[in-house]
Amino acid sequence: MTAANVPFLEARRLEKRWKGPIPALVNLAFTLAIFYATWWIFQDPRGYMRLYTPYVGYNYTRWILIVLIWVAYIFDFWPFKRGWMEKAHPVLKGVVLTLLSTGILLLLIKGFFEGLLGNFAMAYFSPSHLTKLPGVTAFFAEEYAATACLMFAAIASWLSPSWIVAMEAAPWQDMKQPARGLSIWVMTFFLSTLVYFMTMHSHMGILYYPWQYFTAITPPYWEQFADTVSGNFHIAWIMCCTVVVWLVETIWERYPFSAIKNPWIRRLSLFFAIIAISLALNFFLYYAQELAWGEAIRGSRRDAAPDWRWLHVGETAIFFLVPALFLYIYCDNWPKQFSTPVNMLVRTVITVAGGLAIYALYYRYAHLFLGTQKGFSHPQQFPMIPMIWLINIWLINTWFMDNWPGWKLSMKTDAEIAAEHAAREAEHTWSPRMVPGLAVGAAAGVALYFLVVWAIPVVSNSVNLIPK
Amino acid sequence: MSENKTPFTRRDFIKGAALGLGLGAIGAMGLYSYSPMSRKHIAQVQRKQGDFGVCRGVKCRVISETSWFDNSQLMGDIKAAGGLLVDQYTYNWPPFGDGTGLGKGSYEKGVAKIKHLLPNKLEEAWEIAKGLSVHPDNAGGFAALVEVEDMDGKVHKYLLDSGWSYKWMDEAFKREGIDKMLANGEIEALFISHEHFDHYWGLPVTLKYAPNIKMYIPDTFYPAGLQYIADAGHKGELVKVKKGLCPIIPGMATYVFDVPIICKVFGEQSMYFNVADLGLVSVTGCCHQGIILFADTAYKELRYEKDKFHGLYGGLHISPFDDWDPKYDDLVIGLKKWELEKVGCNHCTGLVTAKKFVDAGYPMVKGTARFRSKDPNYLGNGDSIEFRKA
Repeated sequence: MTAANVPFLEARRLEKRWKGPIPALVNLAFTLAIFYATWWIFQDPRGYMRLYTPYVGYNYTRWILIVLIWVAYIFDFWPFKRGWMEKAHPVLKGVVLTLLSTGILLLLIKGFFEGLLGNFAMAYFSPSHLTKLPGVTAFFAEEYAATACLMFAAIASWLSPSWIVAMEAAPWQDMKQPARGLSIWVMTFFLSTLVYFMTMHSHMGILYYPWQYFTAITPPYWEQFADTVSGNFHIAWIMCCTVVVWLVETIWERYPFSAIKNPWIRRLSLFFAIIAISLALNFFLYYAQELAWGEAIRGSRRDAAPDWRWLHVGETAIFFLVPALFLYIYCDNWPKQFSTPVNMLVRTVITVAGGLAIYALYYRYAHLFLGTQKGFSHPQQFPMIPMIWLINIWLINTWFMDNWPGWKLSMKTDAEIAAEHAAREAEHTWSPRMVPGLAVGAAAGVALYFLVVWAIPVVSNSVNLIPK
Repeated sequence: MSENKTPFTRRDFIKGAALGLGLGAIGAMGLYSYSPMSRKHIAQVQRKQGDFGVCRGVKCRVISETSWFDNSQLMGDIKAAGGLLVDQYTYNWPPFGDGTGLGKGSYEKGVAKIKHLLPNKLEEAWEIAKGLSVHPDNAGGFAALVEVEDMDGKVHKYLLDSGWSYKWMDEAFKREGIDKMLANGEIEALFISHEHFDHYWGLPVTLKYAPNIKMYIPDTFYPAGLQYIADAGHKGELVKVKKGLCPIIPGMATYVFDVPIICKVFGEQSMYFNVADLGLVSVTGCCHQGIILFADTAYKELRYEKDKFHGLYGGLHISPFDDWDPKYDDLVIGLKKWELEKVGCNHCTGLVTAKKFVDAGYPMVKGTARFRSKDPNYLGNGDSIEFRKA
C-alpha cells in the first residue's frame, strides 16, 4: 500500500497549526462566515439572488453536495495531478475546485436534466414544457422541475458515496482514473435512475390532473403502508441513507463490517446494512413525532400530516449529520483512545446530543437570521437547505482546502500508510469473547430505546421550541 | 474474522457491550417503531367536549373571493421578488408601493405615502398607491358577511376579513350593501383571519364606514401589521385572540392556530359554529392550518350537535395558485371520512381542488360565476351558503 495508490484524501496528513481547540474554533468561525455570506448572496429570502423559493435553491444545494462527492470521492480529483493537489495553496484549490463543481452543477441541472431529459424524455424536468400545461405558472413550473431534479439528487447522495464507503469502489478499485471514476459514476447514476423511477416517478405523475395512470403507477404502491401518496415517504428513508452512509464512513469507521475478511461479504453486508440502519432510523424518527405530537391524520396539513412527518424524518436525520461531520472534520474524530466500539459509542452519543441541540437551536432561533419563518412546518421551508449548505461548505473546506486555515497539509509516507492500515486491521476485529458483552449491550440498547419512547412525550409536553 | 485464544477480559466485554448497545437500540428502532404494538405508547385523544353553545343557523355571503385576478401575474411577481418566503410588505404591491420595484419595498415607506388619507379618502390613496406599486389592478380581496341566527331568532352580523384593493373592495361592499350595514352599526365586529395582503390590506375600506368597529385579530401579527391598524384609522376595541378557542356568542367561536404561512405571515383565526340539529360548521378565511386539522381540533376540543361535522365554507388553501402536490390528494381522499353534508369553497381552495372535490362526490354548493369569479365550482362573488335545519 503506497501513497500513490490510495486516494488523495487518505494519503493526506492534516496537521494543526495551533494546539488545542483553536484550529477547530478558527475553522468553525471561518466556515460560518462563509456560510452566512453565501447564504445571503444565494439563498436568503431577503438577500441578493433569493434562490430559496424553496425548491430551486434546494435543488442547487443538493446537487452541489453530489458533485463534491463525485470530485473528491469518486474521481479522486481527476483530472488534477496529485502534485498540484499537494502543492497548490488551499485557497487556490478551494476556488478552482469549487468553480469546477459549480460548472458541473450547472451543466447537470440546466444541460442534462432540464435540457436533455426535459426535452427528450420527461416533460416534468423542463420548466418551459410545464408552463404549457393550462394553469401552471412559471413559478411552479420551475418549482416542479426542481423538485423532480432534487429527488434524483437525494437518491444519488446516498448511492454515490455508498459505492465507495460500502462497496469499496469494487470491482473497479484497481483501475486508474478516470476509468475507475467513470465506472462508478455510471453504475451509481444507473442505480439512482432505477431507484428514482421506483420511488419518485409516481409522485411526479400525481402532480397532473388527472393522475397519469398510464405513465406512472398511481396511486403508488406505498399508499396504504405510508398513509400518503406523497413521495416524501421515500425521501424519509433515502435521506436517512444519506446520513447513515456518512456516519458509517466517519464516526463509525465502517466497523464492525470492516472486521469481515471476505471482501464481497463485507461490501454487500455493509451496503445493505446502511439501508437497514436507515430504515430503522426512518421508522423511529416517524414514531418519535407520533409520540410527541400524536398520530398523523391523513389529509391534514403541516405537522399533523403523514407526508410532512415523513419529510421531517429526513430533515431531522440531517441535523445529526452536522455534529458527526464536525467531530470528524474538525475534532480529528475524537475520541480515539478507546477500543473502536467504545470510540464509536462515545461519538454517537456526542452526535445525538449535538443533533438534538442543533434541532432545538434551529427551531428556536434560525428564523432570526436565515430570513425564514418561525414554526415547525412551514410548507415552503426545509431545514435541510441550510444544514446541507453548511455541510457543503465544510466539505469544500476539508476536501478542497485541506482544513485551511486551521490545518496545513503534508503527505503521509508509504510506510505510514501501511502502518495505518495494519493498525486498523488489528483494531477492527471481532472475537466470540465479545458475545457476552454484546448480549448485555443489546439488552441495554432495547431498554434504552423504551426509555426514550417513554421520555419523548414527557419532554415534548414540557418544552416549547417555537418562540412566541 | 479473527480468533483469539487469549482469555476473556473486561475489555472484550466492554467492546461487545458498546457494539451491542447500538445493535439493540437500532434493532428495536427498526422492529418496534412502526409495528402495531408501538401504537399503545401514543397518547390517546381525550375529547374535551367543551360547550360553546348552539345557534339556529349561519349564512355566509361572498362579498369577494377573488383575491387576485391573474394568477400568473401574481406568481410572476412572487417569483421575481424571490419566492414565497419573502416578506409580503416588501413586494411593492398596493397599497404599500413606494416605487422601488418588486421585493424592495417596506411597510414604513409604503404607508408613508398614503397614511394621511386613511380611512376616508381611499380613492385618492389608491390612486397614489397605484402609481407606486407593481400590478395594482391585479389586487382584489377576500371578505365574507357572516350572519348568525341565535336560538332567540336574533341575527348577528359579522365581517370576516376586509380584502385587499381599496377600489375593488369598496365596489364589492357597495354591491352587497355592506357599506350601509357598517355605517348603520349592523355589523357587530370585524374578524381578520390572518395578516395576508388579500385578507387584511383592505382594512381601511371597512374603517371608512365603521372606524369604531370591534376587531378580532390573531395575536401573532407582526409589528407592521399591528401598526397598520392604527395607521388605517381604527378607533374601536381591538381583541388580540390568543392561540386556542375564543367564544363569541352561543354557538359561535373562533380558534387561532399557530401556523407559519407563506409571505412571512404567522397564525390564522377561523370560525366554528354549532348549528342546532345539524352539527359543526366551519368558516374559514384561508384555513392555512388545513381543513382536516381544523375539523380534528373541533373533534378534540368541542361538543357539537349530533357529533357531526356538517359543513364548511371558505378558502381551504389547498392549491391557491393552482399548484399541485400529491399531499393535496391525501386531503381529497382523507376528507371523505368526515362525511360532510354541505361544502362551499372558493378563493385559495384552487380550481383543480374544487374539480377534484366534485369528482370525488363531495356535496358541493356551486356558484354562479358572477362579478369576475371564474368557475361555478366555486361559491363566487355575490353567492351565499346557508347552514340551517330546514
